[in-house]
Amino acid sequence: MTRIACLLAMNDPARPTALLQVALAHSPRVEDAGAGRVYLDTSGLQRLFGDEQRLAARLHEAAAAAALETRVGIAGTRIAALAAARLGVGATVVEPGGDAAYLAAAPLSLLELSEEVAARLSRWGLRTLGELAALPTAGLFERLGGEGVRLQRLARGEDPRPLASSRPVPLFVESVDCEWGMENLEPVVERMRELAVRVCASLGARGLAADAFEWVCRLDGGREHEGALTPAVPMTDAAAVSGLLRLGLEARPPHGIVQGLTLRARPVRMTPAQESLTDRSRPSARLLAATLNRLVALVGADGIGVPALLDSHRPDAVALGVYPPHPTPLPRREREPEEPSPLRGESRVAGRAAAEGEASESPTLALRRLRPPTPAAITLASGRPVALRSSRLTGRIVAGVGPWRSSGEWWSPHPWLQDEWDVELADGTLCRLAHDGSAWHLAGIYD
Amino acid sequence: MAIPIESLPPPGWDREGIDGLLGLFPPGRLSEIVGPRSSGGSSLLLAFIARITTSGGQVAFVDGMDALDPASAAAAGTDLSALLWVKCAGRLRTALSAADLLARCPGFPLVVLDLDELGPVPASAQIRLQRAVEGSDSILIVRSTRHREGSGASLVVATRRLAPRWMGLRPLTRLAGLRSEASIARSRSQLLSPQTWTLDWTL
Repeated sequence: MTRIACLLAMNDPARPTALLQVALAHSPRVEDAGAGRVYLDTSGLQRLFGDEQRLAARLHEAAAAAALETRVGIAGTRIAALAAARLGVGATVVEPGGDAAYLAAAPLSLLELSEEVAARLSRWGLRTLGELAALPTAGLFERLGGEGVRLQRLARGEDPRPLASSRPVPLFVESVDCEWGMENLEPVVERMRELAVRVCASLGARGLAADAFEWVCRLDGGREHEGALTPAVPMTDAAAVSGLLRLGLEARPPHGIVQGLTLRARPVRMTPAQESLTDRSRPSARLLAATLNRLVALVGADGIGVPALLDSHRPDAVALGVYPPHPTPLPRREREPEEPSPLRGESRVAGRAAAEGEASESPTLALRRLRPPTPAAITLASGRPVALRSSRLTGRIVAGVGPWRSSGEWWSPHPWLQDEWDVELADGTLCRLAHDGSAWHLAGIYD
Repeated sequence: MAIPIESLPPPGWDREGIDGLLGLFPPGRLSEIVGPRSSGGSSLLLAFIARITTSGGQVAFVDGMDALDPASAAAAGTDLSALLWVKCAGRLRTALSAADLLARCPGFPLVVLDLDELGPVPASAQIRLQRAVEGSDSILIVRSTRHREGSGASLVVATRRLAPRWMGLRPLTRLAGLRSEASIARSRSQLLSPQTWTLDWTL
């Protein structure tokens, strides 16, 4: 049976690492929930620290020794442990199996609701977790969706999500003292190279890279000379880092006798060039950065990127995003498996529809855009275009369909409206004509 | 027991269709798709790009005329986040330089140089592009409306317009698609026999 302790800092949330260190000194499985709150898996700790009352008291004392004023709660779930820590005094233990009963009187604010959900629950007259737990699940799902079901399960003391283990970010700092002092730059650069080799080795051992390096030269007379470098891409290559450090020191040499050096690296996690054996490899980050910089010099920063469709019906509503797009980790709640719907069948129907949509994929005819659209002179007969004359294309129109009318953003300073025609010229060219209310344009060519 | 050394194609692989055609483009070589307007050349390119990006690959698209329609690419199934779009605003030299840089950057299984009416590629630039992509795993495809005699491309696929497809009868109501034909105009591989593919593109 899983038992979880919540360590809640009351006075110093600005020192989250101190709280994490206290927790890690007692359990190997610790989750840093932020805002001065840490959860520990206490399963199996009885042999080390005695029963839960003693463990709670020990955690309380250890935090006090680290100058942290804390409250401790131990229960079967995170939410009940948090309630025990918030509502109790000092150290509180909820008996096994008693989570739901303990939570019944707890306020809804314990769930950290969004403003919208909090307002709705308030309008329904709900004040405590017990009242939320007593609502019919199907009705709650109809009104709040999966989020409502999740909140109700928490209110009932059910929390299937395992702890997300946290580890403090290690520091990558190396120092060397030179009591005899170094007057020339060359021995300073050599010592710095040695530090870079050690820092890069420890970064590489953890599968990390550094996107910034800072150095401090301690000079005679207690003075300090500081410098930093930020490579174009995160790196762990000691030779490359040494070369950049040398250039940095040569550009801004320390003025005085150097008696000590410190090199500090800021670690970042590198996206692997190949996620798994079956995945395709991605461009090397270093080569890609160099290539992208050259391309930017060639076509300009606004001429390169990832195409992104804008949320608009305006023709050719496209923007350019940054390449490579940075993968943003999903919020934890989204990564969890989908909760089964209390309204049975809906998700299965949706899933089948999606699958059918994928299966019906067929080769698509491409439109080549003309940017900007080429002004065109159109001859009309009975309101239909019969001839096209423009700088790009000229010819008799033998077939055509339209107009496809669209308009939008009439509420903004830049409203638009457009009539589009798909036409075939006598030479077989298929193209799209557009009329914006005042003039005709050749918008694109199908190819 | 003998162990077959050839790997089977993945489920759904269409030997007679676009998959089979894509499989003919040799990595580490310069290839061309040539054909007049409305012959399906750009649609064929987008179909290739969609297949590469959905299988996890990154594609570099050097757009000589800024003609790429991302909505068409998305409709063809392209994962737009895996597409690097380089817009060259009608400058041939810029497009050639960009393609040269990208062909030398490993990690792009497909590099497209879409020149359309800016093409064909001058002979000297073609040699340079061929050298740039040589020895890599990238497929480099140049798309243009005209083919230059004596081109050094390893594979030249020519596209030809067959007929548009319209919906409705007098009056027509909608452009439904295009039927086109792709054929091998030239190949340096002795193994490739003259073949044609009839391709139906839908709108």
